[in-house]
Amino acid sequence: MNAIEITDLKYRYRDGTEALRGISFRVLPGECIALLGPNGSGKSTLLLHLNGLLPEKLSGDGAVKIYGEPVAAKNLEQIRRQVGLVFQDPDDQLFCPTVAEDVAFGPQQLGLAETEIAARVKKSLAQVGLAGFEGRQTHHLSHGEKRRACLAGVMACEPAVLVLDEPTSDLDPRGRREFKAMLRTLPATKLIATHDLELAVELCARTIILDHGQIIADGRTVELLSDEKLMLAHGLERPHILHHLHPH
Amino acid sequence: MGGHHLHPHDHGDGHKHSPLERWPAGGKLAGALILVLTIVLLPRSAVTGLLIVGAVIAGLLAVSQIPLWHLVKRLLLLEPLVLGVAGLMWFQPGGGKIFAVVMLKANLCLLTTLLLSNTTPFTELLRVLQRLWVPWIFVTTLTLMHRYLFVLADEAERMRRARASRTFTRGRRWQWLALASVVGQLFVRASERAERIYNAMCARGWK
Repeated sequence: MNAIEITDLKYRYRDGTEALRGISFRVLPGECIALLGPNGSGKSTLLLHLNGLLPEKLSGDGAVKIYGEPVAAKNLEQIRRQVGLVFQDPDDQLFCPTVAEDVAFGPQQLGLAETEIAARVKKSLAQVGLAGFEGRQTHHLSHGEKRRACLAGVMACEPAVLVLDEPTSDLDPRGRREFKAMLRTLPATKLIATHDLELAVELCARTIILDHGQIIADGRTVELLSDEKLMLAHGLERPHILHHLHPH
Repeated sequence: MGGHHLHPHDHGDGHKHSPLERWPAGGKLAGALILVLTIVLLPRSAVTGLLIVGAVIAGLLAVSQIPLWHLVKRLLLLEPLVLGVAGLMWFQPGGGKIFAVVMLKANLCLLTTLLLSNTTPFTELLRVLQRLWVPWIFVTTLTLMHRYLFVLADEAERMRRARASRTFTRGRRWQWLALASVVGQLFVRASERAERIYNAMCARGWK
């Protein structure tokens, strides 16, 4: 069964902007996929559909399916349990005063017992390298720490599919390196919208390129990103890391 | 680091420096309530009583080790409100005395709340409110307000700097106009952020 199945997904914002124009693709369980494309190509809009946050009125037409289940109003709770969404701006996601409270938010919404919640908080903070940060105030964390705390908050819900929106933007090189290493250790199916082309090469075997709300290319990361003409035509570029992988 | 240190107790290291900061939040909240009620309920003629309460607050302020300038700054910020209310008292017979007593009462109440807010982390106060069965919607609103006050303050500061870096005129009028646009922008950004936060909450199962 496919972890994600999207068939002819279209979406138009209220102001008339056509954000998605017939997107279709499938993701197998365990895959790690990079979603590339210039600003305004529809990446973030697409990600919001995976969690049922868009469209505003869920029709349940089956354009988006998670493990065979169409995203609809009646099974939203189950869908959100399966799909963990990490937002672009950590300040949007860390809405609780302390790290522990924020990580516990998801499990609390799942109605888990206090002991189970505490165990999950401890486990997810350790997973992202923030053990001991439980009592820290979220607004006093560094940007890198905020990113990790966001991920811990989502991991605490133990999602089968992890969807990340620009997870390494605003991180310094070391932060980026560490974040990528950590992402590699997470077992979930991953869909990562990013401008970090090195992340795509290092973590994702498959890449989907989106532009003007349409899928331009879907294939092996190294092959797509080596195609300089394709990259430049869609606001991207051939990453330097490929020069090291395939020296001339 | 994202946030501003709005309170002297907010050392960011979780370390509590004065004895008053180490007292339990629930006790401090109850104490502050009792003090405020006493101040409000004391009759206008009981000036001695008010002075005794004032002495108690002064003692607590000394124990709290809050820098005096910090308190004065915050008190001055709130003073226009107090003056607005107390000022009306002038227009009745014997208004001068009533004005003085109302000013004293209002300032004592303000000092009590400042004392509480500067020696108790807001998160602890929220936990106490939760334990006291205060409606969850009220506690959640307060929690989110406290969390995003820092983000908004940061955003306003970034916008202020950006505006200052391109402000070449000293004309007051232009500065006020620019400020008005910053406030408008801040409002729009805050409401957009509110939508994104709501999405993030829904994504983690908020019902």
